[in-house]
Amino acid sequence: MSFIHLYMLTGCLLIGFAAGWVMHRSDYCVAGMFRDLFLFRSTFMLKTLLLLILVSIPLFEVARLTGSVKYPFPLFGTPSLANFLGGMLFGIGMVLAGGCVVGTLYKMGAGRFPSLLAFFGLVAGSGLYAEIHPYWSLFSRTVALPTKAVTVPQLLALPSWLVSGPLLLVFSVLVVRWFRRGQMMKPVVVDGYLQPWKAAILLAVIGFFSVLLVGMPLGITTAYSKMGALLEQSLVPEHYNQVVFFGLYPLQYIPPVGGGLLRGGPGASLDGIALIQFPLIAGIILGAAFSAWRLGEWRIQFSLPMRQVISALLGGIIMGLASRMAPACNIWHLMGGLPILAMQSILFLAGLLPGAWLGGILLSRLVLPR
Amino acid sequence: MSSQISIEEVDIRGQICPSTLLTALREVNIRKADLKGGKICLTMLSDNRSSVTNISESVGSMGYQVDVKKEHDYYRITISRIP
Repeated sequence: MSFIHLYMLTGCLLIGFAAGWVMHRSDYCVAGMFRDLFLFRSTFMLKTLLLLILVSIPLFEVARLTGSVKYPFPLFGTPSLANFLGGMLFGIGMVLAGGCVVGTLYKMGAGRFPSLLAFFGLVAGSGLYAEIHPYWSLFSRTVALPTKAVTVPQLLALPSWLVSGPLLLVFSVLVVRWFRRGQMMKPVVVDGYLQPWKAAILLAVIGFFSVLLVGMPLGITTAYSKMGALLEQSLVPEHYNQVVFFGLYPLQYIPPVGGGLLRGGPGASLDGIALIQFPLIAGIILGAAFSAWRLGEWRIQFSLPMRQVISALLGGIIMGLASRMAPACNIWHLMGGLPILAMQSILFLAGLLPGAWLGGILLSRLVLPR
Repeated sequence: MSSQISIEEVDIRGQICPSTLLTALREVNIRKADLKGGKICLTMLSDNRSSVTNISESVGSMGYQVDVKKEHDYYRITISRIP
């Protein structure tokens, strides 16, 4: 491992640690934001998500202007209706699991048993996708939108700032109004509480550092496939060798910090994905665990109603599957793709909303106590 | 002669979101008459930070007095009639 790779690994670990700490202190649960919109008609946390996206727009623009970051970011592709369907399935899964792919990690780090179950489900679901990849890949190409553009500015053939600038201005007025009305603040009743609007700004800054370091916003879902691949390779090596998906290397780029061409994919090898995403995952878990431990709130309780056990596991499996079908997760699309107006991310969001609504119905009718 | 206020306790630790909040709201509604009449005081134990904040906010907006106290690694939420 070169010095630059060690630098990236350490940086990702620190970025993950900071994100885990911030998310735990503010309970920045993105799954909860969308679920509560439909279950309780609450838009409080979604308002902070909008703030996060708005702060990310100029930060990502600054990163682009450095010239060292590939823009649009690597792994963002052209849009397809598969992004919408993947987002919808992801919405159902995250609500049933009680957290998204990142929410699952920070809650697991804080000792929450349901999130540990969701984590196992995520690995299983991501591994399961490998079996249907050839068919889904074909379907995704069939329903691809007729454009070579990745972002809305590219589609309109306009500079990115000319499209995102007016949007930033309009939505900023809205956010300022919410602040003035006191709609961005929660009463503080728990120890060490970080107001979610502060968490939103911090997470935008963390995402900016991620772009500067690895040339991409926060994203961890391919690592779940890699965990599934590692398991499959050790348990059923002959079958593993026949799975086409595990032989792919969708990540091929030169990171902003240098170090030459970096390749990475969902297979069992310790490649660029492992270098970036494994330390991010470890960092988020450790950051949340450290935060909970400092507050004296780290605890694990294994007793859980059977319906909630099934919901967490099944939700994790659905989410893992959907995160490869989409492809990628809500954090990648909402916090990384929407600020650059990636069309995949817009379609993912369009699917996520009805998915979270459906997930809320399933949760309240089949899982929660009546 | 002063009337005795009984304390009822519900443990909602360890559950997935949003089960904690929904359970809390259900338990409050079941005991609505006794709570409003000042006959009982309801305490809930939760280890979910988000739920503690949301329960406090939601139940408070329903016209109850809500006190939150940290005990070891969880929170005790006490719901009673506004004096």
